Amino acid sequence: MQVDDVLLSRLEKLSHLHIDEKNREEVIEQLSEIVAFVDNLSELDTQDVSDTFSMSNLSTITREDTPTCVSKINDDILNHAPNSADRFFIVPKIIE
Amino acid sequence: MFEVVIGLEVHTQLNTNTKLFCSCPTSFNHTQNTNTCPTCLALPGALPVLNKEVLHKSIMFGTAVDATINRDSYFDRKSYFYPDSPSSYQITQLYTPVVEHGSLEIDLEDGSKKTIRINRAHIEADAGKNIHEGDISKVDLNRAGTPLLEIVSEPDMRSSDEVILYLKKLHSIVRYLDISDANMQEGSFRVDVNVSIRPKGDEKLYTRVEIKNINSFKFIEKAIEVEVARQIDAWEDGTYEEEIAQETRLFDQVKQETRSMRGKEEAADYRYFPEPDLLKAVVSDEMFEKYSKIPELPDEKRARFVSEYNMSEYNAGVLTASLEWAKYFETMMAEGASAKNAITWLTVELQGRLSGGITPETSPISAQTLATIVKAIDDKTISGKAAKDVLDYRMENEMEIDAIIEKLGLKQVSDTGAIETMVDEIMAANMDKVEQYRGGKEKLLGFFVGQVMKASKGSANPQVVNEIVTKKLA
Repeated sequence: MQVDDVLLSRLEKLSHLHIDEKNREEVIEQLSEIVAFVDNLSELDTQDVSDTFSMSNLSTITREDTPTCVSKINDDILNHAPNSADRFFIVPKIIE
Repeated sequence: MFEVVIGLEVHTQLNTNTKLFCSCPTSFNHTQNTNTCPTCLALPGALPVLNKEVLHKSIMFGTAVDATINRDSYFDRKSYFYPDSPSSYQITQLYTPVVEHGSLEIDLEDGSKKTIRINRAHIEADAGKNIHEGDISKVDLNRAGTPLLEIVSEPDMRSSDEVILYLKKLHSIVRYLDISDANMQEGSFRVDVNVSIRPKGDEKLYTRVEIKNINSFKFIEKAIEVEVARQIDAWEDGTYEEEIAQETRLFDQVKQETRSMRGKEEAADYRYFPEPDLLKAVVSDEMFEKYSKIPELPDEKRARFVSEYNMSEYNAGVLTASLEWAKYFETMMAEGASAKNAITWLTVELQGRLSGGITPETSPISAQTLATIVKAIDDKTISGKAAKDVLDYRMENEMEIDAIIEKLGLKQVSDTGAIETMVDEIMAANMDKVEQYRGGKEKLLGFFVGQVMKASKGSANPQVVNEIVTKKLA
């Protein structure tokens, strides 16, 4: 996979991160190295391995359908939000 | 000539007590941001734990639509950035859903049946709600993390009529299983429609357009109609390639048009990958055994109503389409009303008196009350005609049925002694007519019956009167 300026711009958009002009070259280089490293995996022959193969055969734990609610915690979270009012989280308007 | 090709995605909110991955109560209409916790608010370090009831309900649904239940299913992470999802991703099942390859049958107008295949039903977490107000948006995350079963059909429907039949069947199955409230207005049964057109006879699938944001059967029909017209116009104008893109469009109920959701295409890079916070979900033999035993489904109930109560296919279809009305009828049976009268009094007399939107829960007449009226007809305490007055009166007044019959003086007199006395009196007062009758003017029988009915103020049982008059005149 070729990491170039176009791809980096797309990644910026998707990740909501801004990469400074002076760092772009370096980030592209690092990302290319990471991708090349991961590409090592394709040397493995996975022809006969199922898509859902996992190192452990454990299954996810499940819980009973019994409600609990600690209102202090959600009050705290709400109060620590950058902007909240009337028990709503407030964000900049998201539709035109 | 064009053919319409439609597939549906239905988001059914499962009616569990708690959310999909945390123990917060699921709620409708609770104070905003009260049913939240670090997990559904996606605080760092909080981990999802699967609600087992969600698996149970998925098994029930899969069984009802004759599908494969995957004993191992997997969760995947779908990334998207929007304030209704604090984690900026949704946990769903893309590659190996819990339910696959099912189908259900719809009954077409002409009496034939058509099978609509169900591609899959997968478990996923719902998002919160945004309220837009001036320069800001308010976010309520009570719904964030509520379990959804997304039911995806194959593109097997060819008209909006088939779409509505499919949705009604699916809706009643979900209600019969009691796995969801499936209330369209409250958003617990949300429908996305995928529509494309093709020249008749062509087997190829052309560009499909997804229409979102339609919350009633009526609007679904309308949305399909206007979107199909848009696609046909483009095809006929030779602008199909440019104008019809694979995209999501919103249906505008006021302007009666579908509109592109701008900018969504560019951002639609979901970067799906296996959810690292969850291992596979396993349906054990024991769990499968237990939850694949499901209650009677609408089609089964309908067939039973026809055979057990001698009901017409039509009435059975109407009554079983809604679980609540079917139960209403069954309660009347349990109360001891006769099936024949119960069917008429429920489908014609009661439902005819109720305005649209009234459900068994909001009906002023309970199943027990209607059964009491029907039983009074059955044992001839009142005539069918009098029963209509009783029902009308009961609609307006909270009162015992017996008391109403008494108050309105509608009790039929079947007491032969009382009727005989009345007949004797009337004969005595009309000796000339008695002679005429005995002389061969048999038409006069009606006169005597009428006089007795009048004297009894309509409360005499006409059948009994008829018998006595005939006997005495002979």
